[in-house]
Amino acid sequence: MSNQNSALAGSQQTGLLSQPGFRYALAILGLVALGSAWVLSIDTRYVYLLVYVWFGVVYGLFLQYGRFCMASAVRDLFAVGVPRMAVGMMIAVALYSLIAAFVTVTGNSTFHPNVLGWHIVIGAAIFGYGIVFTGGCASGSLYKSGEGNVGSMLVVVAISFSQAIFVAASGWFDRLVPSSWVESSIAKDMPEELSVTTGWFDIFTSGHVWDLQGATLADTLGVNNVFVSSFLVNMLLVSLLPVLAVLILLYIVYYRKGHLRRAKIANPTLNDHLKGMWSMFTSSKNTAIAGVFLGIFAGLHMWVTGLLRTHYEIDNFGEMLEAMGHTAGLSMQGTVFDPGYWYITTQEAQWGAWVLEKLNFDMMNNIYFGLENGVPNPLLNAPGFMSIGIILGAAVMALSRREFKWKMPSMEGAVFALVGGTLMGIGARIAMGCNIGAFFATVTNGDPSGWVFLFGMAGGSYLGVKTFNWWINRNVSADDGFDL
Amino acid sequence: MSWLKRIWRGREISIAMQTKFVDLPGLGSVEIMRSVDCLGAACPRPQLLAMQMVEELKDGDVFELYSDNPTSVETIPALVMTLYSTHLATVRGEHGWRIYVRKGLGQ
Repeated sequence: MSNQNSALAGSQQTGLLSQPGFRYALAILGLVALGSAWVLSIDTRYVYLLVYVWFGVVYGLFLQYGRFCMASAVRDLFAVGVPRMAVGMMIAVALYSLIAAFVTVTGNSTFHPNVLGWHIVIGAAIFGYGIVFTGGCASGSLYKSGEGNVGSMLVVVAISFSQAIFVAASGWFDRLVPSSWVESSIAKDMPEELSVTTGWFDIFTSGHVWDLQGATLADTLGVNNVFVSSFLVNMLLVSLLPVLAVLILLYIVYYRKGHLRRAKIANPTLNDHLKGMWSMFTSSKNTAIAGVFLGIFAGLHMWVTGLLRTHYEIDNFGEMLEAMGHTAGLSMQGTVFDPGYWYITTQEAQWGAWVLEKLNFDMMNNIYFGLENGVPNPLLNAPGFMSIGIILGAAVMALSRREFKWKMPSMEGAVFALVGGTLMGIGARIAMGCNIGAFFATVTNGDPSGWVFLFGMAGGSYLGVKTFNWWINRNVSADDGFDL
Repeated sequence: MSWLKRIWRGREISIAMQTKFVDLPGLGSVEIMRSVDCLGAACPRPQLLAMQMVEELKDGDVFELYSDNPTSVETIPALVMTLYSTHLATVRGEHGWRIYVRKGLGQ
């Protein structure tokens, strides 16, 4: 029996290697490994950047494996009534929060809470409206780019430039900002080069966001014991209990009736409902497995970066870049964007800004780039490499499963991608992150503002689905035919 | 103007109404009432087409949906479950996957 098995495994192996897709996949992994070895031979400190690269690759592998489309987590609930992805996302949140609690106890957490305010609801709603038209969230567009989807690549481009322009632009719309924000902004006494009173995003940031509070629930409650604050407050109250509540809600609204009818149960007991919940988890195994591993790796990512920061005695990658002699593109404070965990949108904004800077636009006279995140060369942009890693990881998985396919969008699809991507970029900046940075990374680390983001995103998606359906029905009635 | 429409809308989605027989793994020959070809269509259109088919067909009828969008292929089996229908099989084709669904929960 064991002989047979090994013979089978052997034949499968040669079978795999004879597939061109699998060979391409190995080649991509080999190139990433070679590139990693090469930069390490230049300077071992680049290991900090490589951590982003390899975690990006792992995220890409699992996102593609589970077809982990987080946009569909909310969209599919409203559009088609399927809880598959919402369940997968909740699984990921639960595991991330568990690992995050351990990481916090060891003192290696890199997490910074977001401030809480109305801007999160509004930004999230714009973001949620956009994802219905692009067919994927920010991470989804990256993994679908890795599958060869050109429409998703357009989304990435649109997110990059819309953010960069949005945070740097100034004009007549500056006057729409409440005067209290302007006063508060002036009172901050910021360096003149930033010109904080021109550009509404600067006024919004310094005159409004900086005046708001943000904290983990444990800090808000003033819990000092690190075990209690990490496990009981941040993990249990902010993450696990809401996850359980969402899962029960999903079961009751979307799954219970069908499950009972399929199982032919007339008078369900609690046990039947528990079995039903379990069948909801396992109805798409790939998604559930991807959720488990994405949650675990997202937590580990934070831990590894935290360890490296302690080892190199830095708080931000900018310090390391400066020590290596790369000072171009650093912010005024000598920092660059370096969240230390899974994040998507800001590094894409930096790509856009870098290109615009090459075209002679001044991208550093604002708070977002000039004071906080900098505009580093994409070759030295550590989180940027995480995004590239996601594309490559997804390509590896797609190629080895023979799912890679170059797909050109129709004109309609391309317009949807650009308009939707622009809305996503604008929404992500108003809400201070996307469904990863402002939801996934926050609720798992004890910051309740992420649930506010999810609420806003769900509202935006609901309106997006209504608009999308209206558009399709309009087309169908115009043709009086079947084509949807 | 039809060429403009073609560029704008991309590859047309076709729904064949004539029946055919297909051999499905473990089920033998199965009569297919409708065949939807939506290669090239992105989320959520294949899902919406699957919903439309379940709505239009009679209990016990089987339809085929041909898609190259991996996320839709993953979602449709879960989708038809919520519509009290049965996912029969997903067969890998040359350009994508053929998903077979029977309306209703019975045989």
